[in-house]
Amino acid sequence: MRNVAIIGCGQTKHSGRRRDVNLAEMVGDAVWNALEDAQVSPLEVDAFAVGNMQGFGGVAQPEQWLGDWIGASGKPVLRITTGGSTGGSVAHGAFYAVASGLYDIAVATAWEKHSDSKEPGATTGLGHVGLGNMLNLVNCGVGFKHLLSMFVVGAAAGVACYQAMYYMHRSGCRVEHLDMVAAKDRRNAAKNKYAHLQWPGCTPEDIAKTEWIAYPFRYGHICPASDGASAMVLAREDIAKKRCKKPAWVKGLAAYSDEENQIMSEGAGGIGILDASQQIGATMSAIKAYKMAGINDPQKEIDLAEIYQPFPSQELLFAERLGLFDEGKAWQALEKGEMDINGRIPCDLSGGVNATNAIGSSALQRILECALQIMGKAEEHQVPKEVHNAVAHGWGGATNYITVTVLGDSPY
Amino acid sequence: MARGVAVVGYSQSCHQQDMQMTREDMIFEVAKGALRNAGISREDVGTVITASTDFLDARTISNLYTSMAVGAYLKDESKVEEDGAFAVYYALMRILSDVHDIALVEAHTQGSVVNPHLVSSYTVDPLFERQYGFLNDISAAALQARVYMNKYGVSEEQVARVAVKNLVNAADNPNAHRKMPDLTVEEVLNSKLYYDPIRELTMSPVSDGACAVVLACEEKAKEITDKPVWIEGVGSCQDAYIRDRSLYELDSLQKAAQDAYEMAGVSDPFAQIDVFEVSEKFAHEELMIYEALGLCREGKGKALVEKGMTGKDGEIPVNPSGGALGADPVCATGLIRVIETAKQIRGEANGYQIPAYRALAHGQFGICAQKNIVFILRGE
Repeated sequence: MRNVAIIGCGQTKHSGRRRDVNLAEMVGDAVWNALEDAQVSPLEVDAFAVGNMQGFGGVAQPEQWLGDWIGASGKPVLRITTGGSTGGSVAHGAFYAVASGLYDIAVATAWEKHSDSKEPGATTGLGHVGLGNMLNLVNCGVGFKHLLSMFVVGAAAGVACYQAMYYMHRSGCRVEHLDMVAAKDRRNAAKNKYAHLQWPGCTPEDIAKTEWIAYPFRYGHICPASDGASAMVLAREDIAKKRCKKPAWVKGLAAYSDEENQIMSEGAGGIGILDASQQIGATMSAIKAYKMAGINDPQKEIDLAEIYQPFPSQELLFAERLGLFDEGKAWQALEKGEMDINGRIPCDLSGGVNATNAIGSSALQRILECALQIMGKAEEHQVPKEVHNAVAHGWGGATNYITVTVLGDSPY
Repeated sequence: MARGVAVVGYSQSCHQQDMQMTREDMIFEVAKGALRNAGISREDVGTVITASTDFLDARTISNLYTSMAVGAYLKDESKVEEDGAFAVYYALMRILSDVHDIALVEAHTQGSVVNPHLVSSYTVDPLFERQYGFLNDISAAALQARVYMNKYGVSEEQVARVAVKNLVNAADNPNAHRKMPDLTVEEVLNSKLYYDPIRELTMSPVSDGACAVVLACEEKAKEITDKPVWIEGVGSCQDAYIRDRSLYELDSLQKAAQDAYEMAGVSDPFAQIDVFEVSEKFAHEELMIYEALGLCREGKGKALVEKGMTGKDGEIPVNPSGGALGADPVCATGLIRVIETAKQIRGEANGYQIPAYRALAHGQFGICAQKNIVFILRGE
């Protein structure tokens, strides 16, 4: 495998409605910021990997229309989409483009402009995810009760409710811990100038005052629907060393999916996984990515993590799945402050998806934020220690898609 | 390329209108078929790449349901949202990078569920062209055809000859959808007019279908099969958006082909490549493809088809399988071209076999073939 490094990162400001730019201009901003950061001319880029949540924003194959805005005309462009994990999958695509030896410099970019959709995406209803399958399911003998439950569970939030309940029951984690995670993430986001929900000095008590949405989630727990884009420039070893003072090396990656999606098991009475907090794909991906990266003990060797956590329970759950804390113990580590900026393994110093969720871009941002920390460019939310290894996580589908990426400060 | 990669197994459905099968069943059959064809099991597969689009599947995150059918669960997998030929390209990268050794690639569309022509109107610039409602893939292709035909003096009869060649060829292909063994130029010219000069028989049909291939690195390919089909070269390119490019040529295909030829060491495609399988969604595009692939000079594509050089018995057979005019399950079409060339190279194209050592497969996506990808494949 050829060594590949991230040599430049670019993002846009995220907010609920970016009315100052259209979709093409917004994606263009992120890509040009990344190219400028990497000091790479658009003419030097050999290939692009792009993606956003399919269908959101109401444009099919938007890269064909906006390709000209990002300098992609006359270049290979690969569109990769896997739901919520799209950004991670896009970054993996750009990595493989360079690691394969076919290209020297590749750009990964992912975006979402929720405000262009009539209904702001996946946080509102599962109907439009499941609708296409309704009649097939009826043909298969699935009862009306189960079909109805697909609407009732309420998309990502509904799926995450089930998942959180399983996790809390198993680990002993309580709603107060979810308040603590959400408060930490909003405080972290306040130091990240690109983040959407910024709340300096937010306390768990502030979050606990917000109203219930669906147990165990309060309003203050739930991610926003953001407009925004992010981009990274990846390059092969010699170019990275020449162009970048401190590149972030991609040392390991994997994207194992779960056995079944959550809708098939919970709502549609399928035969798949019953415990949505099991997330076997995440465990498998982490094992593979750490092996590639030569990491034997993630608890000791990983310096920080960016976890995909639209809901706070997921930060705890996936921190365990990534091997950063013992099984069922992440909430205890949280209590001790081990996930804070000065803690043992700081998690989501950018505020994470809980504070900023431009869906297609969210998983790419996790990798991008790890890269910024390694490169020392995270500005206000820079961790006050040397970062040798960092792990970035992406999550999507109806709980079944995972991307795990391990970055390091040296390729070996 | 860093290491040899070969196609070692393939499978495709019988493409048809209104297939009486769920999408999942259709996908399961081709995925299973490709593994069986390669003589391996799901456990041997390292990575899975699927290809489909949410608009065409009419589901958000449509791979949610197809991951299980294709056997991608508990595997390192991903999905490209375009033609299956791009999925091969991604799987190839994954193998070349040494991270994986064996890949399963699958692509599908059931065009009779959601009309692909309707979906095409959602791919145009949403701020300008979509507001007028004039542009879709057929109307844009009509503009392309007129621009091309006017510039190079190509007649409707010459375009119709492409349709006759491919649809007659399709009659020999058991997997093709539109088989017309006795078709004549007059019948093509009298078929229903959609957008002048695009007629029912000069555009691809709306098909349901799926296909899958297994790719393997050199060491594994030699273990798996005696007849590996090696990928010698690949090139891919995206053109500028439709209003910013010249419609009388396929600029991005030309670039993609040049990259692929260079990688494969092909200097004279006319002499060095034995058979071509191209994605001509409209008959006139096949003439433009001849030119972009360097088989003739600009504007001379009409001469190749007039002289029958691209016919089954010609010097450079193009689309002996019937091409996209024979069957067009949108996302599968380019991957079917890869399969058809593999069949020719392995000598498994019963009824339409052409002696072939080296072949070219072409896939396209987007309005007026905005995106193109070219593979050069060869036998042992």
